[in-house]
Amino acid sequence: MAKVLMKGNEAIGEAAIRAGCKNYFAYPITPQSEVAEYLAKRMPEVDGVFVQGESEVAVGYMIFGAAGCGERVMTTSSSPGVSLMSEAISYIAGARCPAVFVNIMRGGPGLGGILPSQGDYFQATKGGGHGDYRLLVMAPEGVQEAVEMTMKAFDLAEKYRGPVMILGDGLIGQMMEPVEFPEDFDATPMNNDDWATSGMDTRKTDKRNLVKSLFLDPKALNDHNLLLKAGYDRMRQEEVRYEGYNTDSEYKILIVSYGTMSRVCKTAIDTMKEEGLEIGMVRPQTLFPFPEQAVHDAAAKESCSHVVSIELSMGQMVEDVDRCVKGQRPVTWYGECGGDIPTPEEIIDHIKSLLKN
Amino acid sequence: MGKIELKGTVIIVGNYGSGKTETAVNLAFHMKAAGIDVRVADLDLVNPYFRTREARHILFEKGINVVLPEEKYMHADLPILAPQVAGLIRNPAELTILDAGGDDVGTTVLAALADSFVGREINLIQVVNPLRPFTETVEGCKRIQGEIEASSKLKITGLVSNANLIDETTPDIIYKGYELIQELSHQTGIRVEFITAHEKLLPELDLSRFDTPVLPILRQLVPPWKKPGL
Amino acid sequence: MGKTFSKPEALTDAHTHYCPGCTHGIVHRLVAEVIDELGIRKNTVGIAPVGCAVMAYNYFDCDFQEAAHGRAPAMATGIKRVRPDLMAFTYQGDGDLASIGMGEIVHAANRGEKFTTIFINNAIYGMTGGQMAPTTMPGQRATTAPEGRDVEKTGMPIRMCELLSSLATPGYISRQTVLKPKYVNKAKKAIKKAFEYQMENRCYSFVEIVSTCPTNWGMTPLDALKWAEDTLLPYYPLGEFKTPEE
Ligand SMILES: Cc1ncc(C[n+]2csc(CCOP(=O)(O)OP(=O)(O)O)c2C)c(N)n1
Ligand code: SF4
Ligand SMILES: [Mg+2]
Repeated sequence: MAKVLMKGNEAIGEAAIRAGCKNYFAYPITPQSEVAEYLAKRMPEVDGVFVQGESEVAVGYMIFGAAGCGERVMTTSSSPGVSLMSEAISYIAGARCPAVFVNIMRGGPGLGGILPSQGDYFQATKGGGHGDYRLLVMAPEGVQEAVEMTMKAFDLAEKYRGPVMILGDGLIGQMMEPVEFPEDFDATPMNNDDWATSGMDTRKTDKRNLVKSLFLDPKALNDHNLLLKAGYDRMRQEEVRYEGYNTDSEYKILIVSYGTMSRVCKTAIDTMKEEGLEIGMVRPQTLFPFPEQAVHDAAAKESCSHVVSIELSMGQMVEDVDRCVKGQRPVTWYGECGGDIPTPEEIIDHIKSLLKN
Repeated sequence: MGKIELKGTVIIVGNYGSGKTETAVNLAFHMKAAGIDVRVADLDLVNPYFRTREARHILFEKGINVVLPEEKYMHADLPILAPQVAGLIRNPAELTILDAGGDDVGTTVLAALADSFVGREINLIQVVNPLRPFTETVEGCKRIQGEIEASSKLKITGLVSNANLIDETTPDIIYKGYELIQELSHQTGIRVEFITAHEKLLPELDLSRFDTPVLPILRQLVPPWKKPGL
Repeated sequence: MGKTFSKPEALTDAHTHYCPGCTHGIVHRLVAEVIDELGIRKNTVGIAPVGCAVMAYNYFDCDFQEAAHGRAPAMATGIKRVRPDLMAFTYQGDGDLASIGMGEIVHAANRGEKFTTIFINNAIYGMTGGQMAPTTMPGQRATTAPEGRDVEKTGMPIRMCELLSSLATPGYISRQTVLKPKYVNKAKKAIKKAFEYQMENRCYSFVEIVSTCPTNWGMTPLDALKWAEDTLLPYYPLGEFKTPEE
């Protein structure tokens, strides 16, 4: 298929359909309402389901019910809405159902603002909902990657039988870029006869399936959580994705940055390279599992004297970066948390000030 | 190829992401440079980002008056319609450009302003980018046309091809857009006002292929890692 | 109570951000006049919704709290339970109150919380750009109902007054409008009554105002008034649905 020009929000909607997801439930919220508006038009064309729920709380459980039947299902929202879905995400993780959640982040806490933010890093990677679960989180840097990650999210959700999140900042949803949809994507869902409540007739069996998260027996709950843990450990082995940028050079400072923020960093790095100043960057594409080894090794490079985590938050990912660098180098934060995005010039100034000290 | 002749009130409409704002802003620059008094109003109540208001500083710099919501509402998640807009429609500049939001949804606001349009000649210009979903074909463009006319309660009077894939635009894309807009014009009887092409692409284009004016574009609404005006 | 052309004390000097022809402004004024007349401005806490009226606190000159989308009745409950001497009112749109906040409103009314709700029913999500509301009319177009509301899939519009009056707990439930001058005085009377019931610590009080959203309906302010009168009023009849005396 030839390239088309799409807004991130539309592209995410289209990607879901291309990945065989014909089930979409959502509640409007800026800056992601275009996904719902796009799918309100597109789902009927493909005989799909489109439901505007009465709240994100309800939407979370519509997703749970649909996912429990083994159908591919997605919702999209933005920060305050994802807070409301967090309870359902915990239940979905507990009941081991595959589902795709998209958070097009805006500023918080509370009502915050509607400009881009990465303030939900902790919510996405460290919990959000209650209990012992993790969320596989992918963070696209642009519209094309948003498409690829959204499509892949359905496979990963099934592979690990759990919720997967695409974490994009508001800019990802709103900006337009040329995109191409992969032709050869295999949209067949994995067999789910052994757990989904797809009807005993459908499965041609007398064995019923239960979708649930209640385990009153401590040993049973312990085993269940260890099973979840095994999945998360496997993610750490198999799903870590990141991009190294100018990391072959003898960089003086290592940047860790993700999402659209990393695009600004790339421009800054290119500009500094022209001036003869080498700066490297690790861009996590998966936030959980975090590219721990990559960040560790990149920070350890001889030429590197400092690591800076550049984020659209008051400093959240920096804690993971610090954890991985393990004291080899000083780790600091730089960024904005009100909706403005640092410019390449501001990043260059900051990097130079770090080098001076 | 001729000169762009637009005068009076020009409302830029089109489907989501067809490049209305980029067209509006560049048209304003172009006409201002030709010595015409230009004013611009941002009517986009639909998009939260990448609206004309983002280009307000450079518009002001070039001496183009912009009607915007109050600064404190600039980033509000609210469909704020500046009250001065109605006044601007009643007393237009030599050229008044109104940049509406996308699709029929974005032009719904025009119907709310209908009283101010009464008895005035309005140029309603549909911008088409055939590389956008829903407007790849003449049929698609006609459907959007119908929806926009229904929601705005105004008739489309002119067409603009803004064929582009941003940085990946090739001359072929511009030619393809030109052919589509000509066909659309042929089928609907609506004239083509102009087509757009990025300034950098102009030397590569065979301009003799076009019967319409070409508006040179410099991108003003860019993400923060790019420089505007390139 | 004749018309007061001067600005009520309970309104600030700020110009509202509401679109031309939007009825939010009129309702603000009525509520402010009632607050003035009852002399309760310095003893009142408003609770702003998430919706076009999110910045109501810029226009009302009394204490205010800003709720999460739909949760204002729960916040009002909190306020009234810890400070029964304060007057509290929520000011909510149809998305806020009848969709995401349906649970909170029903339970606050059923507990008989002693606060007042002003419910702005404009049959659309105004703030977020015209998505379908629970009160959107059958066939009415919205961005999430591009072909018009399909009642087969989304049900019929919810009538909040009727629904809340079915609760056995005593309360004051009234539906009014401000579409024409002749309705405005009645609307104000109902709002005043609602606040008075609260002052007397009698019951929960709820006044729905059938409103307009010319911008998202895609109509001139005049057409919007007419459409609301022709289409909304037959489905959302005006009147008192319940009083605590019953
Ligand atoms: C949890 C959450 N979900 C969604 C939103 C987005 N949102 C803000 S206002 C609104 C609906 C507003 O409609 P309504 O309550 O009818 O008020 P109106 O603007 O029409 O007066 C929505 C969906 C939000 N702020 N928070
Ligand atoms: S969008 Fe609608 S409800 Fe909101 S201020 Fe404008 S007219 Fe009023
Ligand atoms: Mg409403």
